[in-house]
Amino acid sequence: MGKSKKVILLGNFGVGKTSLVRQYVFHKFSDEYMTTIGVRIDKKVVTVEKGEVPLIIWDIAGESTHQKIPDSYKLGAHGIIYVIDVLRPSTYRAIEDEILSLQNLLPNAPIIKVANKIDLLTEKERLEIFKSLPLNDYVLCSAKNGENVETAFHKLADKLI
Amino acid sequence: MDRQKFEVLKDILFEDVKKRNEELTDKVNAIDEIISDREKLEPKIAPILEDQVGYLEKNFPTLFGTAITASIRKQIRESQDEVVDALYPIIGKMIKKYISQELALLSERVDRQLEKAFSWQGWVARIKAWFGGVSQKEMIMKQLGGPQLEEVLIIQQHSGVLIGSYSKNNTLDQDMIAGMLTAIKTFVKDAFQHGNQELETIEYENYKVIINNLKSYYVVLVITGFMNTDFRSKLDDILIDFQKDVLQKHLHGTATISKDQLTQFIKAHFDKLNNGEK
Repeated sequence: MGKSKKVILLGNFGVGKTSLVRQYVFHKFSDEYMTTIGVRIDKKVVTVEKGEVPLIIWDIAGESTHQKIPDSYKLGAHGIIYVIDVLRPSTYRAIEDEILSLQNLLPNAPIIKVANKIDLLTEKERLEIFKSLPLNDYVLCSAKNGENVETAFHKLADKLI
Repeated sequence: MDRQKFEVLKDILFEDVKKRNEELTDKVNAIDEIISDREKLEPKIAPILEDQVGYLEKNFPTLFGTAITASIRKQIRESQDEVVDALYPIIGKMIKKYISQELALLSERVDRQLEKAFSWQGWVARIKAWFGGVSQKEMIMKQLGGPQLEEVLIIQQHSGVLIGSYSKNNTLDQDMIAGMLTAIKTFVKDAFQHGNQELETIEYENYKVIINNLKSYYVVLVITGFMNTDFRSKLDDILIDFQKDVLQKHLHGTATISKDQLTQFIKAHFDKLNNGEK
């Protein structure tokens, strides 16, 4: 087994970071919204083509901007999952600046952008959102039904080996 | 006509000089080419420079020692306040820690002596020991249930990644504990922003978590039972040895070490505590 990797989940409050981790680690989902206080840590060993990677997942409490979260929580991270809510433009309006500042802080950490809650969109709405948003480099996920949740974490794990 | 003869005569007389002149010009050109071409110059002067560097390395203290010492002395004399400011947090913290440790040790010794001399239980224990054939010390130790080292974790600062560990019971997910402890440390540091301070202990009823902070790593020791100052003092000694013998050599040096090897080193050092060795 390879060395453990610290993965941090960032994104505005309510985008579904904790739900993504719960779905990924425990295959569970709850509709009840619980604010994460401080930080929650979970562990999952991922098997990718090149081997096994134990991921230590830091689910950090959501803020309107990641810059409000102390850098000390982010330091030492090997990879980042940045989560947005497809239904709330405020969660991705400033994403380019957010990503840039993360790249400055952690230049070697790969970033996977995840667009969550796609289960709440009808087929028509999906198409409309795809037109209005440059979602090509996002992993489209649903923490509720588990769609693409594993893909997002595997994509990151692949880059960490 | 005379002029022509003169020229011929000059050619004959100065032929050697001319030839020598041409040779010298060629040599100067060749040298000029070497000097102006870095690739050609390097192999020529590299051995000389290497010799010089070697000589300087070998004789540095003799050649410059006096000048450097004088300069440092002057600098310290002229900027005493800055030097005191820079050293105070380190030395002050060290002295404070040492004094409080020694005072605790002294106070414990005094308490122990007083209890031993005057307590009713002391007399009862003495009589029991006398009749039972067991030493009083052994009986007291049994009643107290001495401190036990349960876990040792070596954790990378910031990332919280577990580098090595040793566990008496293997009941905890040490990766998770390492992450969570790092998060708690980060939280405390962030919440109480008073200079460069670190979380050093966490107490949880019968458990005491001791955190020994180093630059890139920190060592966590989980202890159960009543931890007296003798145990703490022994623990500090082992920690110092462990830092010197293992962490500095294998984690800060160039050599790499596997998690299993590190676990063996941890076991070898810290088992002494549970076995009561010095």
